[in-house]
Amino acid sequence: MNKNFKPKITLFHCINTFSDGASLPIAAEVDCELQSVKLPCSSMVKDVFLLRSFESGSDATVVFICPEGECRYVEGNIRAKKRVKRVKDLLDEIGLDGRRLSIFNISSGDEAAAVQNIQKAISDLADLGPNPAV
Amino acid sequence: MIVGEQKPLAEIKKTVAPYKKLLILGCGTCVKTCFAGGEDEVATLTSALRLTLKKDGKEIEIEELTIERQCEDEFIQEAAEAIARNDAVLSLACGAGVQDIARRFDKVPVLPGVNTTFIGVLEKQGLFTEECVGCGDCELATFGGICPIARCSKRLLNGPCGGSKDGKCEIDPDIDCAWQLIIDRLKTLGQLDNLRNYIPPKDWRSSNAGGPRKLVREDHII
Ligand code: SF4
Ligand code: SF4
Repeated sequence: MNKNFKPKITLFHCINTFSDGASLPIAAEVDCELQSVKLPCSSMVKDVFLLRSFESGSDATVVFICPEGECRYVEGNIRAKKRVKRVKDLLDEIGLDGRRLSIFNISSGDEAAAVQNIQKAISDLADLGPNPAV
Repeated sequence: MIVGEQKPLAEIKKTVAPYKKLLILGCGTCVKTCFAGGEDEVATLTSALRLTLKKDGKEIEIEELTIERQCEDEFIQEAAEAIARNDAVLSLACGAGVQDIARRFDKVPVLPGVNTTFIGVLEKQGLFTEECVGCGDCELATFGGICPIARCSKRLLNGPCGGSKDGKCEIDPDIDCAWQLIIDRLKTLGQLDNLRNYIPPKDWRSSNAGGPRKLVREDHII
């Protein structure tokens, strides 16, 4: 990966995971430009929101959902997971590569896991490089 | 409702390639319900198309609009201005909707973005099943409300064929044997005697095998 490449990452997260991802220390800890979108429940991440994050220049997009069985709205995290799977396939069809989109179960307030997962998304970009549609 | 599925992105991309300004036109009724052509699908397809073209170094201007129905002039007229300012329309309605738009705007290419699949129902969330082939002479009263033409793999009117197993069709064990369903239902209704009568071969002239069909309602024509 080009040394000057500072990836742009968009993070969609449920407010039950973090009240506001933008104010998390992860923003400072990870080597990327992080933009976060908070949602009342992860199930509100629609296909088009995920795609638009790439249209807005995201190199990778990450979705944080509550652990299985812990969604406050019972099955919101399962819905989000299925939707992400569909959009990953669509990203393959688009030619952007579905690996640019990832989803992780995060326990409420687990900042260490959040940092780790965003770092994982960044390291996956080593293969993929910058978003080719910007 | 009419059930359809959005065409693969690669096919859509190829179809719209000659145009610089494109209107993606959704239909807010049947195809919205089956997640093929409502507002959400129009928005997702627009974004996907823009991304894939941009990746190839190409760009087209895409406008989005969804009207209530593409098979009724009253609603179609709401799209007139948007159609006029674009080079082509990619319709996400069923085949009837695509053709109704084309009929009313004869100078604009109207392209299909959906494969129209069947007349069916939302059996449960995310599952759509075929229920009717529009044969033009409904015989559901005899069969307890279960159509053997649409739902029996062999279209038997005097079934069952004898091959079903545990209530599943021998052609495809993923589908219920329509004749098992018919018999169970007629038993429940106390109408099993319906099946004592031989059903003669169907006159298919009322179906599309008899050529394009038309329905005229004189009382509504001024
Ligand atoms: S155009 Fe087709 S999909 Fe739209 S409402 Fe009419 S029949 Fe249904
Ligand atoms: S008998 Fe004909 S009209 Fe009635 S449900 Fe079956 S296919 Fe449709």
